[in-house]
Amino acid sequence: MSGAAKQSRAWRKFLKHKPALISAVVIVIYVTVALAVIFGNLVTIDDCERRIGPKDISGFGWKQDPERQRQSIEWYIDQIEQPLARAEKKAARKSANNEKQSDDKLLDELRSIEFGRLVPQEFSLAQLRTEVDAAWQSVDQLNEYEDMNQESADDAEVGAQIQSVLDSALLKARSLYKPLESSAAFKRSVNLSLGTDRQGRSIFLRSIYSIRVAILVGVVTGVIAVTIGTVLGLMAGYFGGWIDGFVTWLYSTFASIPNIVLLMLLAIMFRGGEIDDWINSWTGNRLEWLIGGRMDETLIPVFVAFSATFWIGPCRVIRGETMKLRESEYVQAAQVMGYSRTRILLRHVLPNISHLMLINFSLLFIGAIKSEVILSFLGIGVQKGASWGLMINSARDEVLVGFFWQIGAATALMFGLVLAFNILSDAMQDILDPKHV
Amino acid sequence: MTDIQASKSSQDDCASTSSIQSKSSSVLSVENLTTSFRSDQGKVTAVSNVSFELAKGEFVGLVGESGCGKSVTSKSIMRLLPDKVTEYAADGKILLDGQDLLKFSESQMRDIRGNRIAMIFQEPMTALNPVFTIGWQLEEALVYHTKLSKKDRRLRVIELLKMVDIPSPERRADEYPHQLSGGMRQRVVIAMALACEPEILIADEPTTALDVTIQAQILRLMKDLKDRTGTAILLITHDLGVVAQTCDRVVVMYAGQVVEQASVQKLFHDPAHPYTKALLESIPRSGRKQKGKRLATIPGIVPALFDMPSGCRFADRCDFRQDRCVAELPEIQTIEEQHLARCHFPVHSTSKNRQPAHSIAEGEV
Repeated sequence: MSGAAKQSRAWRKFLKHKPALISAVVIVIYVTVALAVIFGNLVTIDDCERRIGPKDISGFGWKQDPERQRQSIEWYIDQIEQPLARAEKKAARKSANNEKQSDDKLLDELRSIEFGRLVPQEFSLAQLRTEVDAAWQSVDQLNEYEDMNQESADDAEVGAQIQSVLDSALLKARSLYKPLESSAAFKRSVNLSLGTDRQGRSIFLRSIYSIRVAILVGVVTGVIAVTIGTVLGLMAGYFGGWIDGFVTWLYSTFASIPNIVLLMLLAIMFRGGEIDDWINSWTGNRLEWLIGGRMDETLIPVFVAFSATFWIGPCRVIRGETMKLRESEYVQAAQVMGYSRTRILLRHVLPNISHLMLINFSLLFIGAIKSEVILSFLGIGVQKGASWGLMINSARDEVLVGFFWQIGAATALMFGLVLAFNILSDAMQDILDPKHV
Repeated sequence: MTDIQASKSSQDDCASTSSIQSKSSSVLSVENLTTSFRSDQGKVTAVSNVSFELAKGEFVGLVGESGCGKSVTSKSIMRLLPDKVTEYAADGKILLDGQDLLKFSESQMRDIRGNRIAMIFQEPMTALNPVFTIGWQLEEALVYHTKLSKKDRRLRVIELLKMVDIPSPERRADEYPHQLSGGMRQRVVIAMALACEPEILIADEPTTALDVTIQAQILRLMKDLKDRTGTAILLITHDLGVVAQTCDRVVVMYAGQVVEQASVQKLFHDPAHPYTKALLESIPRSGRKQKGKRLATIPGIVPALFDMPSGCRFADRCDFRQDRCVAELPEIQTIEEQHLARCHFPVHSTSKNRQPAHSIAEGEV
């Protein structure tokens, strides 16, 4: 059958088109990750809010300067030092009151605390204290250097000395914790693979969670905006008259408001929670049931704001195309066959503008993702969890001190998605164009 | 001109086209159709007092130059003109089996369109929806107007494609319009129009966009189909050659009026209206007699719709003009049986006594 032949021709062309193939694979990976996050709880909000290690670790085991290394080691020791000190105080009080109290209970309490999936060794309290003190001492050896960064940079020999002290201190600090099982160790190394941010949260987990946000914003906004644009554009173009006048007025009005102002306005409107309360009480707690929380804690304000402004583009284009198609011979022929207007609109005009819907969707998808990042950067977009915009925002100070992992991860992932989508759209045009052999 | 006795006879529905062809029974009769448009410059009458009839199984040509109202007439019959700006004069009637289409509601009209009156357009290249297979498009008409089952529809689609001489119709039914040549597409368009076996087929310049060989094939096909199905065909064209090949009867229009109506033989051999005569003379001919002669043309232009002369509309350009022509609009008069003309001084053979009023030695350079 010829229809199948045409499909297979496009398919063959697609398989031959390397950039298209690669970008399709990239997009599939992104979408799979997003789906896994949305439906499989691959990464939860808690995961990306949790502190899993020292702050500002570099990714991929990248060598940090001695000062940072020292801070990391101190963090590891300090994680045990604080609960240990509390436990010791308790034990001292108990023994002063001549109460019988086994150390085990305190130790259990101590061990139940997870420091980013790390658990203290099974020592007794006194043992743990000696180990911690030993670790502190080995770190304190570094005190003899005034400015480790400067000195190790100036003199290679001193640098090597400092490094060896740091290595042994790190070993000491590490020995405070139970060695991880291989799977847990792998998981931890993956989570730390892109380093941590200012709050010691995993950049890797945060950027993965951001993929969910990006794909969700892109798809939902794209679908809603294209749907609104198509319905209004079709009606305006086909029926004309006052409907056309109204739709034209509507989109001219929306288009005359600068996009970002409207987006900010809508996003801020949802922030107070008054709208949520009002809708909730008006619908009998349906809102709470539907989204399980306040609207601004979800992505709903972003969806609403984007859908309200992004439908203009597709609406305009589709209105124009419909006006053209309305006068086309096959629509006239359909009229002559006695088909009703609804039928002509849905079965003869709509399929012929479907390519415009697709093109506009691919444009809006990218546009929405970029706008979401901008809004979140400005602090009025995503409120909870992570988003590339939030990551870039919190990376502002880090960049100044030369820590680029967070901003790097966020921009690289965004760049990858946008580039892949653009290349794919461009390639699809070549592939599906029957005139382009 | 107003015999509607036959039009009241049959009230048949779509699928039951009777094979009996009686020339006398007219399926469609247009009476005094006057169509005008409201515009910024006031009311413009595009078609005035047009009357003609279409008998069952008849092939009638509607001829005239561009802008003479051919298409407006056909679109008035289909009621395709935008309601907002179109006005039909009160005494005008378009009778389909005795029912006045001008009084029909839009939904009633939808039952007529495609079902009892079908229409095909000039441009086969764009008359088919590019995103659906032709089988789908043919089937849609059947879905809409008949109650056939899915299997029967498929069979009917194949049958229709076979009817319009499309080779291997089973395969072609699953192809898209762009995979078909222009002639094939026009065949499909015709098949689509005939899907419900309409009583009347209006063909608006169906062959203009096709090359000459395909043109001949399509015309032959239409003629065949007319003979087979008994569908009356109204062929709108400005090509007199096409008319001579195919039509039984010809209606000539000029500036929104019917100026002459006759059988093909009569019209071509013995035209009564000076306009028809001039038209026939302006057809390029080959042959020895024509050698070195300049092609005859009709001087002047068609009067504008805004200031139609009160007298004969062709008077300005007429070689036989007399004072009465300018003063008084001629009525349609019967020259002889089945031959009508709108002229005070018909020029046909029996009134050879007249000579052109300002005879120019035509053709002698």
